[in-house]
Amino acid sequence: MGIVAVYVQRHDDPEARMLEKRLRLQGYKTLSAVRIERVYRLEGAVTIQSLLPLLVNPVSESYSEESSLVPEQGPVVEIGYQKAVTDPETPSILEGARALGVYGLEWARLSMRYQFSGITGDEALRIAKAHLYNPIVQMIVTESSYGSTLRPSGEPEPVRRISLRGLSDAELAKVSERNSWYAPLEQMKALQRYEEQRGRELTDAEIEIIVQSWSDHCYHTTWKSLGLLKVLMNATESIDHPMVVSVFKDNAGAIEFFDGYAVTLKGETHNFPSSIATFGGVTTKHGGVIRDTIGFGKGAYPIGGSTIMGTMDPRTPDEEVPAGALNPGHIVRESIRGTAYYCNPMGIPMMYSVYRAHPGYPKCLALGHSIGIIPKEHALKERPVPGDKLVLIGGPTGRDGIHGATASSVEMTGETAEKESAAVQIGHPITERKFMEAIPLLRDSGCIRAITDLGAGGISCAAGEMGEATGVEVNLDAVPLKDQSLSAWEILLSESQERMAMAIPADRVADALRILERFSVDATIIGTFTGDRRFRASWRGETVADIDMSFLWGACPIPQAQVKTPEPAKTCCCKGDVAKLDLAGLSDAAKRVLSHYHCCDQSQAGFQFDSTVQGRTVIGPYGGKTGKMPTNVFVAAPLRGKPYGVVSTIAYNPFYGDVDSAGLVKLMVVEAIARAVAAGADPQSIALNDNFYTPKYTPEVGWHLKRMVETAASISKEFGTPFISGKDSSSGTFLTTDGKSIDVPLTFAVATIGKMADVSRVRTKDFKSIGSSIVLVGGIDPTRLGGSVYLDCFGKRGSELYASDDPSYTQRVKKLWYRLHDLYGRSGCCVKAASAVGEGGVFVRLFEMAYGGGLGVDLSLDSSAGPLEGLLFSECIGSVLVEVGSESDLEELFGDLPYVVLGRTISEPVIRVSYCGDSVELPMDDLVNAWESTFGEVVL
Amino acid sequence: MRPKIAVLYAPGTNCHEETAFAIECAGGDPSMVILHDLLAGEEKLSDYQGLVIPGGFSFGDHIVGGRILATYLVARLNDELQAFVDSGKPVLGICNGDQVLMESGILPTGRIGERVAALAQNRMARFESRWANLLVPSTGSFWTEGFEGTILRLPVAHSEGRLYHTPGTEIRPAFLYADGQGMPTESYPANPAGSPGGVAGVLDPRGTVLGLMPHPERAVLKEHGSVDGLVLFENMIRYCCQT
Repeated sequence: MGIVAVYVQRHDDPEARMLEKRLRLQGYKTLSAVRIERVYRLEGAVTIQSLLPLLVNPVSESYSEESSLVPEQGPVVEIGYQKAVTDPETPSILEGARALGVYGLEWARLSMRYQFSGITGDEALRIAKAHLYNPIVQMIVTESSYGSTLRPSGEPEPVRRISLRGLSDAELAKVSERNSWYAPLEQMKALQRYEEQRGRELTDAEIEIIVQSWSDHCYHTTWKSLGLLKVLMNATESIDHPMVVSVFKDNAGAIEFFDGYAVTLKGETHNFPSSIATFGGVTTKHGGVIRDTIGFGKGAYPIGGSTIMGTMDPRTPDEEVPAGALNPGHIVRESIRGTAYYCNPMGIPMMYSVYRAHPGYPKCLALGHSIGIIPKEHALKERPVPGDKLVLIGGPTGRDGIHGATASSVEMTGETAEKESAAVQIGHPITERKFMEAIPLLRDSGCIRAITDLGAGGISCAAGEMGEATGVEVNLDAVPLKDQSLSAWEILLSESQERMAMAIPADRVADALRILERFSVDATIIGTFTGDRRFRASWRGETVADIDMSFLWGACPIPQAQVKTPEPAKTCCCKGDVAKLDLAGLSDAAKRVLSHYHCCDQSQAGFQFDSTVQGRTVIGPYGGKTGKMPTNVFVAAPLRGKPYGVVSTIAYNPFYGDVDSAGLVKLMVVEAIARAVAAGADPQSIALNDNFYTPKYTPEVGWHLKRMVETAASISKEFGTPFISGKDSSSGTFLTTDGKSIDVPLTFAVATIGKMADVSRVRTKDFKSIGSSIVLVGGIDPTRLGGSVYLDCFGKRGSELYASDDPSYTQRVKKLWYRLHDLYGRSGCCVKAASAVGEGGVFVRLFEMAYGGGLGVDLSLDSSAGPLEGLLFSECIGSVLVEVGSESDLEELFGDLPYVVLGRTISEPVIRVSYCGDSVELPMDDLVNAWESTFGEVVL
Repeated sequence: MRPKIAVLYAPGTNCHEETAFAIECAGGDPSMVILHDLLAGEEKLSDYQGLVIPGGFSFGDHIVGGRILATYLVARLNDELQAFVDSGKPVLGICNGDQVLMESGILPTGRIGERVAALAQNRMARFESRWANLLVPSTGSFWTEGFEGTILRLPVAHSEGRLYHTPGTEIRPAFLYADGQGMPTESYPANPAGSPGGVAGVLDPRGTVLGLMPHPERAVLKEHGSVDGLVLFENMIRYCCQT
């Protein structure tokens, strides 16, 4: 079979133009032109002519059978996927050919040819490496790259039988490392004993299944060893909230919604892959967390998503990036591209996108959330019963993602990046989108007994977990492969994305397959649930695995973790004095804060993510007069034609953990809830999702982790607000190739899901009218600036977080939330706008509210109340800024809460600040310029 | 009788549900018609009084947005669809649906398989999710009846929405991106695609086929922040009832 190539040129190519612009700004001053050709390589008995209607629109494109790029015009670099990887577009090209009636096309690949005029070949290669491709899944294509066939091909390795008998501790450690099992010694010894007990050598597949299932990623060994896994669960149990439908046990948590529905919440991180190959890591982050929703109960439908990225400062020059780490600017840009690439085709509205920076993030935080909706009657899975079929749906299985669970459970080095390159994949959203649509239909027609997504550990974890109580038999020969060279253990462990496993009653299988076919979802019966409580797998006539479920799920040795109180110096870095401010310096300080990466306008990223798809969005990520004011909340009305609202918010701050690990947790929980309540969520029906990200385990880290989890549990109980789902990553340490170790900051992010009875009662934060009073309710402590953006602008972190030792704090904010909710429910409510204080303090919120309303602000600050910098920039988390009519009786509204009138709204576009008998005027235009400038430098 | 409207679903379509809801709000009777069923002959377009190709990423937007679904329409459903268009029944393509109509030639010519235009990548080379103001010119078509000369506020969400056509092609614009003064604009971000002349929506010569890049189905309820999209569906249903 021959391979032919078609080179397609777009008549007018914005992508080439934007790339040229970006590269010139990045220093390639002599670059005079960029041209891009799209190259389709086609294998099979086909003519180019027969496929032209599919590949070329003659109106806007032309084509040639040889490249049209003339070598004299500059160096050419062609980027394609590696031979072992299936291009995202391959299945679509094959289907398009069949649509045309061309059946001879056997395989196709798409690559991109770039030509750079005005620079050298070396410079072109450097550009390719830095900006155009990911060496882990892609390559520079040459004439010999694909050889005689385009198909991923090869022969599998036979099953290996491995004996651990008689090996010393040192030898066991070596075997574990050589095979990339990353199993702690205790686990290796347990395997050794199991071999003894079984009286035979274990197969590679068996050992792989066991170490995957026991990895920190799947088994949460670190948390279990600290006795933490149950702490939040117990807190939730003791709150015993009547709205709770499902907590912690399933892929997501769920609370009751209205009209017989439940809404779900889950967050998931993909820190390791996103740090070494961001685009792939971020796409699979989204794919994975969305599948957690789809795989909840008997199948929920996703109705909102998020992306949260914590990196080093994206403006860091290359020479200051730790050796072996990716440039953080590249990570942020690639993550934006990855989020757009995955989330937009999924058709799930973006709830919020958040980008933050901290020098401790060469191993970045890549967090995503997903919320969903499901009829309550389907919110609980059943257990598979013997005789049920194990059905695999979605994409084929490949070599991608092997060892993802184990590799992500260890600290990261320049070497792990190289060695575990297969842990990174490229997402195919179209495959996931297809089953997202079909699964609710399967569910409603009674086909699903249980469903779960295939994430870490692949088929081995999914089948092992589903079959824990019954036993399961898997026929690996039935699994559709995209790479024929996969051996048995690789098929079991592959973490190829966009796959789900279902337990379907035998008599419903035919119906299920029919529904799936109408939705173009590939489905295969790969096994049967048995009654023997064994995990068995066969391949090419051999039994490749036969493990007792009781061993798999009961024999993992949990080490006793040591905990040690850190030295004071270790609990907190970069302490420093408050940077004093007077009115003369205010303009400069205000601009520094507004242009700080954490406070700046990030809509250049946010506008690349669809936030109105599904037609349910009430408040999207941006609003106000210009449509660019960040709202800090997502509100949707998921039941069409009904007024019921679902509300979601996020709180994430990478600075607070440097100051105080317990305070961090408290403030994040409060901030997330305050944001939801300020928008109109009922404070009584909010649930939480936690996300912990901590450095590689040391006794000191253990001490912090314990403190964080216990704080989360106690504050959750104080508010009566339950945690319903969570995720922990305990390997946030990066080892540079020159031997330095960099820990992530103690990281804790909280997302909420809440509800409101009537979305017409939402409060947006933009100021609505001239002459209103601006009131800060809930209190402020102008002497506390620890962890604030303001101090960071002056290179300091500070020593005390807001309210960290205030015993009345939680009761005060709780009272405020219930008060606001009560006011919102009154007819003719006097609160016109509201916003919870966050990063950048009162000032940043005032700016955003004024900007959103196209108004100005006249502030009169009481100099006896505290220093200027504290009044404006202290981050009094939990307090809420409200706009009320000037005639309002504030004593009646807020008399039993701390409140202060800060000033009033005015028509002139300025922020005027009076303090100590003096005043200064900051023109909104200047502030807006400062606010808008930063992110543009990043997203270029 | 509420007119029966087919809402076409292909793998990757993701706006069918809200589109069906908008049709329902306007008094129509929407059905999700799955491409698989049309190809298998289990569904017939002729059973419906109108057709909507909703937004999404049919076939993952692979090769070019709308190309693969258009290939199916041209190669497999040619006669059925041409007969539907020729009978004067209304056809609406939204976003990816608009791309499909262009790639299949139904727009702007009304003749399947005759490609004279394309929706090319946005000038900024990226996906744009924003609210846009759209000026409705005078078209004489039922689609824009009653709101010609007004400005509609609708969400936009696409990365390939810049009209590109062979010189001399006659284009009947139905929607134009408008600036703060209400005038057609080519400047970013009021015209997020950078579409020439501000063109955001196009009619076929007969005036029964409409393709537009903005999403009217996302602006039909008060809580959406705009109900400007509803009139379009109401006009479609009224036309179906009259004919």
